[in-house]
Amino acid sequence: MKLAAVKPVSRVLARELAVTALLLAGVSVVVFAILYFAPGNPLHALGVREAEGMANTWPGQYAAWFGKVLRGDFGHSVRTGLPVLPELARVGLNTLYLTLGALALTAAIAVPIAVHGAAHGDTAGNTAATMAAYVLSALPVFWFGYIVVYVSIHQFGMFPLISGTATKQQHAWLYFLVPIFVLGTASGTLSEMIRHLREELSRVLAEDYIRTARAKGAPVWRHAFKEGFLIPVTEIMSAKIPFLLGGAVIVEQVFNWPGMGRMAWQAAQDRDFPVIMGVALLAAAFVRLGNLAQRVVFTAVNPRASRE
Amino acid sequence: MRRYVQAETFPRFMALQRADALDLAYVGYGLLVVALVFASYLIGAFGWLPHDPRAMNVTLLNAAPFTPGHPLGTDFLGRDLQSRLILGIQAYFLPGLLAITISIVGGSVLGVLAGYRGGPLETLVTYFANLVDSFPRLVLILLVIAAFKPDIYYVMVVVGITGMPVIANLVAGKIAFLRQKSFIEAAHALGLPAHTVILKHILWLNCRAALVIQATLGMAEAILIETSLSYLGFGVQEPTPSWGNMVQAGANYFLQGNFWPSTAPALAILATILGFQLLGDGLNNILEGKRGR
Repeated sequence: MKLAAVKPVSRVLARELAVTALLLAGVSVVVFAILYFAPGNPLHALGVREAEGMANTWPGQYAAWFGKVLRGDFGHSVRTGLPVLPELARVGLNTLYLTLGALALTAAIAVPIAVHGAAHGDTAGNTAATMAAYVLSALPVFWFGYIVVYVSIHQFGMFPLISGTATKQQHAWLYFLVPIFVLGTASGTLSEMIRHLREELSRVLAEDYIRTARAKGAPVWRHAFKEGFLIPVTEIMSAKIPFLLGGAVIVEQVFNWPGMGRMAWQAAQDRDFPVIMGVALLAAAFVRLGNLAQRVVFTAVNPRASRE
Repeated sequence: MRRYVQAETFPRFMALQRADALDLAYVGYGLLVVALVFASYLIGAFGWLPHDPRAMNVTLLNAAPFTPGHPLGTDFLGRDLQSRLILGIQAYFLPGLLAITISIVGGSVLGVLAGYRGGPLETLVTYFANLVDSFPRLVLILLVIAAFKPDIYYVMVVVGITGMPVIANLVAGKIAFLRQKSFIEAAHALGLPAHTVILKHILWLNCRAALVIQATLGMAEAILIETSLSYLGFGVQEPTPSWGNMVQAGANYFLQGNFWPSTAPALAILATILGFQLLGDGLNNILEGKRGR
């Protein structure tokens, strides 16, 4: 039984890896196309020019550009003159913490509400929580950020606008948590996450095999867990990574968070192509990795998928 | 003849009767917001504003709401917030319509190609959907802004294109479901041309509701993007008001305790986005019966 389940999983994984590689190639084509058609020939700023022996046609330029990207040469920032990739690696980790922390927080809020809603239907408390989540999700995250800043200054005496600086503060981790809290609650993903989880879990709970389990007196949750909980949770979490990365651009702006989003903002301000190109490529790679992880979980708990 | 008409409209009344009070409240609130936004857009377009939105008044800076003459107060230059809020709708209204038009039309075309033709085209559409989903929308928009120029219509073309896959999936799913239905088979057997079957029997008669729902959700998304970009300084520039740049301008006075100038536009954003989202979700629950029970 176990052996039969293991073999196709590896085959599916190989397929998913191939799909991921294909999509990343597509990502590079999209980014290249934008740079190629942009006025002022930004590709020159990236060091892709005829002098390198490449033909002046787009396939030649793409090959030259993609070769550089693959070698990790994202060019030098127009503004600072520093190489892009080490700069992005320096701040990328901050964004990674922010995004993953916010994702975990959103899930931690959404899961109990969704599970309660699926199990007990529309109770007063559940409806109130869902409504609150709707309101939180529609709040402009930048304004909510200011509210949180104001409250933390006046109520808790901390000044989160200087978080992530080189200056060592007391309880640095607290300063770290404030932006995560803001992004996790008000990024606009909360209500969608609740709705998706609740729909999926309700659907599974209405299936015949759950009714059979209930009739037998078997624990319903153990039967519903994989299909009704684990798969939808990983699905929606991986699907929401791009939204949180987009929200991170704004939250980093509000909190002066030294991350990729703020760097992207600065770069767009200065038309600093190499930097914004690097941010787009790294963000897309991050999204694809999250998606790959989700597919791995999906295949692992659902070996049927491999026989499709 | 009359009886047939009734039989045709009957399911719609049934849908209304089965609807939750909560869903009806969502839709009612959403329609109210849509009406208000539309009316305010027209008021702003014709310039029938209570005050000149650019006229400053240095004796009345950051005034609270219910100040005589300024029912919603004034901003940091003493400009009337009510007029600026109304005029701020210009910043997203037409661009938002452009974005949802692009995503509805493009998404329907892709969906029909994927669902009706299937095969390699379906794979291609799925690939495109995954490709679009790979980019955080705001990062892609910043890339386009850096490469071209900070123009809201460029941005909304990006928003429209990135909104296409959701609609394509929806239409393709509908078609996969409808293909097994006998009336589509009958339409083909009658020798109706493919475009009649697709445009009339599939898109118009069976995807209408779903597309309207997606359009309202798309508008919420467009408003969110526009206000975020204006907040970040890439959208509408001062002194032309946008809800996003109003929040940003007011934020400088926030920590002094002057909440109102940035809270008023923030509440406008909240109420409007909430309205479009609840309208979409409420309609979805009533017409498509998606709510998990």
